[in-house]
Amino acid sequence: MNFLSHLRPKGREASLGIILVLTMGVTGIINPRFLTGDGTRDLLSSTSIVALMAIGIAPVVIMRHIDLSISSTVGLSAWMVANLCAHHKNFSWWQCFVIAGLIGVAVGALNGILVAGLRLPALVVTLGTLYIVRGLVYVISNSVDYNAQEMPPSLLAIGHHVFLGLFPLTFILVLIMMLITAWFMKYRKPGRDCYAIGSNPPAADLVGIKVFRRTFLAYVFSGFMAGIAGVFYLIRFAQVDSTAFYGQELAVVAAVVIGGVTIAGGSGTTVGAVIGALLVQTIQGALAALGVDAFWKSAINGLLLIIAIWADRILARKSENALLAQRIKERA
Amino acid sequence: MSVTTPDSTTAKKPKFRFTWDTSILLLLLVVWVAATLTTDNFLSTTNVSQIFSNTSEITIMAFGMIFLIIVGEIDLSIASILALGSAMLGWSYERGTPIWLSIIICIVVGTLCGFINGILVTKVGLGSLAVTIGTLALYRGIANGLLGTKTVNEFPDYWTSFGFDTIGKSWIPQSLPLIIILGIGFGLLLHNTPFGRRSLAIGQSPEAAKFAGVNVIRHKIIVFTFTGFMSGIAGVIYTFRFSTAQADNGVGLELLVISACLLGGVSIFGGIGTMWGVIAGVLLAGSVESWLTLREINAQWRTIVTGILLLTSVAAPVLINKAKARRKVTKSL
Amino acid sequence: MAQKGDLLLQMTGVQKRFGGAIALRGTDLSIRAGEIHALLGENGAGKSTMLKILAGVHENDGGTITLGNKPFQVGSPQASIEQGIAVIYQEPSLFLDLSLAENVFIGRQPIKGVGIDWKAAQDEAGKLFKELGVSLDPKRQARGLSIADQQVVEIAKALSMNAQIILMDEPTAALSASEVERLMTVMKNLKAANKAVIFVSHRLDEVFAISDYITVMRDGATVSQNPVANTNLQTVIKEMVGRELTELFPKTTHKIGDVVLEVKDLSNPAFFRNVSFNVRSGEIVALAGLVGSGRSEIARAIFGVDKYETGSVKVKGKELKKGSPVAAMEEKIALVPEDRRQQGLFMIAGVNRNISMESFPNLVNRIFINFKKERALTATWKEKLSIKFADASASVDHLSGGNQQKTVLAKWLATNPDLLIVDEPTRGIDVGTKAEVHRLIDAAAEEGKAILMISSELPEVLGMADRIIVMREGHQVTELTRAQATQENIIAAATTGKVA
Repeated sequence: MNFLSHLRPKGREASLGIILVLTMGVTGIINPRFLTGDGTRDLLSSTSIVALMAIGIAPVVIMRHIDLSISSTVGLSAWMVANLCAHHKNFSWWQCFVIAGLIGVAVGALNGILVAGLRLPALVVTLGTLYIVRGLVYVISNSVDYNAQEMPPSLLAIGHHVFLGLFPLTFILVLIMMLITAWFMKYRKPGRDCYAIGSNPPAADLVGIKVFRRTFLAYVFSGFMAGIAGVFYLIRFAQVDSTAFYGQELAVVAAVVIGGVTIAGGSGTTVGAVIGALLVQTIQGALAALGVDAFWKSAINGLLLIIAIWADRILARKSENALLAQRIKERA
Repeated sequence: MSVTTPDSTTAKKPKFRFTWDTSILLLLLVVWVAATLTTDNFLSTTNVSQIFSNTSEITIMAFGMIFLIIVGEIDLSIASILALGSAMLGWSYERGTPIWLSIIICIVVGTLCGFINGILVTKVGLGSLAVTIGTLALYRGIANGLLGTKTVNEFPDYWTSFGFDTIGKSWIPQSLPLIIILGIGFGLLLHNTPFGRRSLAIGQSPEAAKFAGVNVIRHKIIVFTFTGFMSGIAGVIYTFRFSTAQADNGVGLELLVISACLLGGVSIFGGIGTMWGVIAGVLLAGSVESWLTLREINAQWRTIVTGILLLTSVAAPVLINKAKARRKVTKSL
Repeated sequence: MAQKGDLLLQMTGVQKRFGGAIALRGTDLSIRAGEIHALLGENGAGKSTMLKILAGVHENDGGTITLGNKPFQVGSPQASIEQGIAVIYQEPSLFLDLSLAENVFIGRQPIKGVGIDWKAAQDEAGKLFKELGVSLDPKRQARGLSIADQQVVEIAKALSMNAQIILMDEPTAALSASEVERLMTVMKNLKAANKAVIFVSHRLDEVFAISDYITVMRDGATVSQNPVANTNLQTVIKEMVGRELTELFPKTTHKIGDVVLEVKDLSNPAFFRNVSFNVRSGEIVALAGLVGSGRSEIARAIFGVDKYETGSVKVKGKELKKGSPVAAMEEKIALVPEDRRQQGLFMIAGVNRNISMESFPNLVNRIFINFKKERALTATWKEKLSIKFADASASVDHLSGGNQQKTVLAKWLATNPDLLIVDEPTRGIDVGTKAEVHRLIDAAAEEGKAILMISSELPEVLGMADRIIVMREGHQVTELTRAQATQENIIAAATTGKVA
């Protein structure tokens, strides 16, 4: 199909893919358990959550904004869904998804109004909502936890579906979401508007792009995906407390940035975001497999993020220098 | 056209203006009155002492942060710097380092972390928002790696009493004089020295500052470095106040510091800010928290209050400006 | 489709005033299909105002404008585009992360079925580039494109929207010679496609090389409209400069002293090469030339805001440290930059804080600023330069351009410099204040300061300078004494590189 050839990973995505394979290979050689079916399944299933959120915030970051509230949204949706399931025994899996999606949309809409409507700095706004939403989880949960017994079996069953012995259903769902969003961002005008807005905000206004509407919807989408990621969390861990997924927003931001969605806006794809998420999770997993203490996890996330933005900076500088050299040549 | 009123006002003192940082003082007063009326002992000496003591780290870090926000940058890693300093303090003390040396290590580590942030932002040219999110995770991660879930809490009494005791029989926390001295010092630095003026200038227009002979890069590195230094000091106080060195010390404090600054009228876009406003902002945050505690409102609500304070502090100036602009338009019609 | 020679646009007696200032006092212009029309005139002649009316940015106060046989609907940029008028600015604002094809069709991407038809967009953009005679890959990213190619993309975008009249505001000002050639090819191809091209340029050599028709404006009115065959370089220059050299410039002669600034073989290859000159105490030396000829960059390099690659700058015989405004200020150099709003002033601060910014060494008692001294400093310079403001701490944004410019001058004069560099000292300020600024610069020279002045206004250059260095495309073309210089020979040197 024509559009698949356009979505074919190239440049950044391809080189990340190579790094990914290398990391897996080297770790696998040192610690063979890392590449077993169990190990891979586990890796892919834990990547699903981060990857889903990465797909969600990619459009926001492409528009030169950011959404830090997502991991609080995951916590809120996971706890709320578990709570509803505990009180309504006949809840089915699809109802869980609907509820989670709605919760996510609500948080996203709040962010959208503040960032797009009032034009407040996205970072500060979403830091604020990060706290408010997490605080909400603390307050309503009142330290109540839920585990597998309280959750619908139809929901938990999703976690047991594995294709070809390697690919968990959740990961397949992520891949489907990735392809749909990648298609949308590439082949629909609202998707292209995101790139235009992130690339040159004043010019986007000038050519008549509806900046408010696009920004608002991007936040709603980001919230929606985080909400769904909450259900994925339940599927994977089969238990939830008020600190669920606390502080993981950085891992998601790092994944997206490493995947080639630049913080400066205007470029990147959801395919890259998913590869970035895979890479971050693989590196984390690889280090664990190599015997590095889990306590270093956050330090590694931070380091990866810094390296990713540093790499972007080097690339940008390269193109600036090329332009200058060209100018010097022409002036001669 | 031009403002050509012949003027006689050069010598006249600037008249009182109803600005954001004066209104925050009023708000603070309102909170105090309300808290006093609705609780039994809000203004009791113990409670006032508590408010000052509870806000000591925030205040100290805010003294650095105000300069950073004013020059148009931000540092989200300060609470992680506090934790890393604190972890180093505990870690080295546990291994037999004399306490005074451990304290110095804590402050030096803080300073170094700030310096690294400064270099990454200015020399390497990375955005301070993104990069300090990275160092936020990095510094706290190192603290985590260093201490794991372990805590160090056997410190000499002399030092822990500095954290939470008062001077003699008075209500004044032992750390308060230090904070007052730092406050006056940084206030003078901001408002009465070329350094402060240059900081404001950089925030207002980095380009014009360059043309006015300000070494913008060096200036920003200095500001990042002393924000790190202040976080190191805050790390010492935090460690002794809770008598604990552990990796998750001060999680989320960066938000309180930033909201205190913004509540105090420092513009998130740089170039505007006063020390008075920030001190009022810190006291406001501290008083609200204390009020909630005294009303026995669930501690978990505080996270929400933090978030709301932060949102209010960025949204309020924007909304006020919008309202002002609208009033101006209707007037001119 | 318009036929070659059809009258596309007719402006008669168009007037425009801004407050008290008259920008256009009855301008005529007629444009035909398949014609390249050059619009000439000195700064302030009204060319930009005219373009902005056609672009829908301003509305005319009087006169008639007809497009073909319909009256022109003045309104918004959008309305102008719909009427087939497109404006290409000097610095296009493309979406640098997007492909060229997408930049051409942004917001109007062709749709096939449910999605965007990228192949059609690329083919169409490629066709437009080919028509323009430029080989650009429609799939490539706009980032890294030279300014000239960015303009080409804008032109392609205009064509895709069916523009009949293409206005270009000084399109070549920032371009190098080879880039200009490229753009000229594009213009010729537009002409072949029976479009009308109106372009403003100060580079007279290229004007004569390419245009079919030349309209000269002066002081807001049309001076002449001629086919290029009926006029020549000398005539056009005379028509442009007919402006009176009045007593606006009260140049007095002063004692010329020792060399203060000595610039030798200075090069910053992207902007200027092998520039050598000196400025003596009491002397006013002007750097003349077109915008983009490297004048401001030389000033920036001397003052240390930019670095330079080779050569040297000496102040009173001592080598000046490269790339350090602090060092320059220590050697008593002052730079009044070209853009007062971005570079010269802190717009939200008051006059007080702006003036004291460079004078801290004189205002500080050991560590702290002495506010009394600061107020006194402001009062002194307010008086000396008769700056008009009501409140020294109120934002300088509220001041008029003239008073803002005087504030910038004041803050640098307050440092008592030995060398004062002024870059476009009277841009965008009213006539009365202009004269005052000139008087101040003259007085500074009288005091024995060395003055390096950059100006695009020829009467100012001729009126003020003792010596004039003419720059063109980064090279020093010639140096003229006050006695030798005329408007004609400066324009000729700056635009054609030939010394008359």
